[in-house]
Amino acid sequence: MRTLLALCLGLLAGAVYAHSAPSSTLRLEFRADAVQAQYWVPVSELAYARAADPAGEPFAAYLLRHLAVETPDGKAWRVIVDDVHEAEYLEHAFVVADIRLLPPAGVAPREFVLVDDAVTHEVRNHVVYVVARHGERADMLGALQYPAKRLAVAAR
Amino acid sequence: MIPPMRTIIALLIVIAACASIPSHAAATATPRCQSPKTPGTHEVAAALDQLRLLLSDKQRADLNRPLSDATAIQWSNLPIGIVPRSGLRLGDLNDKQAAAARAVFVAALSPCGLTLLDQVRLADDYLVPFDQRPIGWGAGNYYLSVLGNSSAKAPWMLQIGGHHLAYNFTFNGHEAGATPLFAGSEPIRFEVRGTQVEPLEAQSKAMSRVATAISPQAKARLSGTFTDVVKGVVVTDVPGQMPTGGTDTGFPHSYPAGETDRGIPVRTLPPDQRELVRAAIASFAQLPDSAISTSLLAGYLAPAALDQTYVGFAGSPDLGAQGSYVRIDGPRVWIELIVQRAIAQPDQLHYHSLWRDKQSDYGGEVRR
Repeated sequence: MRTLLALCLGLLAGAVYAHSAPSSTLRLEFRADAVQAQYWVPVSELAYARAADPAGEPFAAYLLRHLAVETPDGKAWRVIVDDVHEAEYLEHAFVVADIRLLPPAGVAPREFVLVDDAVTHEVRNHVVYVVARHGERADMLGALQYPAKRLAVAAR
Repeated sequence: MIPPMRTIIALLIVIAACASIPSHAAATATPRCQSPKTPGTHEVAAALDQLRLLLSDKQRADLNRPLSDATAIQWSNLPIGIVPRSGLRLGDLNDKQAAAARAVFVAALSPCGLTLLDQVRLADDYLVPFDQRPIGWGAGNYYLSVLGNSSAKAPWMLQIGGHHLAYNFTFNGHEAGATPLFAGSEPIRFEVRGTQVEPLEAQSKAMSRVATAISPQAKARLSGTFTDVVKGVVVTDVPGQMPTGGTDTGFPHSYPAGETDRGIPVRTLPPDQRELVRAAIASFAQLPDSAISTSLLAGYLAPAALDQTYVGFAGSPDLGAQGSYVRIDGPRVWIELIVQRAIAQPDQLHYHSLWRDKQSDYGGEVRR
């Protein structure tokens, strides 16, 4: 199945995303004590966002200024960027950040409010999809597009 | 690849028809795109009945589908290699069937709307030699669909579209339904046997005139960067998985409210600039036949509505640079046009444009 998927993706390479402005995807894995996240941000769209916010810091620091997680009643979660690397997907370059989302003590990591405008603070048509990853399956949890930058997220 | 002779002939006919349109037509709201005839629902339905008589059982089954929220939003601006279409594929029709399908188009579209359909298809034929992957470019890869029963008094939809074109007309709906209407063009202009073709010439020039007129005012410049239309279809791309979507799954959309970052209120513009806005709206609203969109256009251009309409732009008002964007944002009308990098020839540019009605997309029949 993985080989077939790779083949299909290869056949689609370039054609698909060369034609549309690429979106971002925040993939979430809900674990017992934290949420493991992987954030795929297209380099082309991020470039516009960073040009409009030229602090010049590394991407991890930039991301932490633009991404936060809160409990529904407003208590901040800890957000830790463990790794940043680049990857290509369907002929588009992405910055990929591995992120840990840690809830306050006593709070189950099942429900939170995502606050994010890493790209959408600048790129008006950009969409951030938030999905829950279950092995090879991903369930759509919601999406963010300017001017919205808060999304209620709950594990299903 | 040379376009089929039938397409060439059709193009030459519509170019000849449009040659009689005065050069100032694009700068006036006078409905010069409209033909003297006034077909309505029954003319479109009658043309469809004639077409059905010429189709095989399978083709009739392809043409007719149920009307539902799910089927209505299944349009896209993307090529069929990315978002496969349902319906009757125009490239599969024989000469008699093609003539009958064209009679449907003539009944449902204004002369300008018909020209746009022909020219967008020609543009797709122009792209075929670049289609190495393949992505499904080509004039044959456009589809005609009927959602619901076109003989009934109940709501039904006519969809005509393919890459860079989506006509979604709703008949017998709660509201007159001419939208969503997507029109794009790559290349922006090209030659076919010595004749220059520019599918979105009227719309892009009308929008550029608005942007140029308002550009001296700082408030007219929208904040942010635009890399596509804002209310269009979006592909859901989860890395490692097959991409999905590419249809209007974002419907219903939310729209800006208040006065912030919507551009210039039309009510503050001098009369000549208000006229440019009217012309730009008309350049889109006159693509369907007048029976479909006259009431919509009248509503958009009513003084009270125009007073609550905003116009804004980003990038270059002459639309000569990637990221240039113009938007008309009224109580109901939403029209946006963006200049993007071309795909087949990345050193060039191409257009995407979208007309939505905040109240009557899909005739008000889709409730998601």
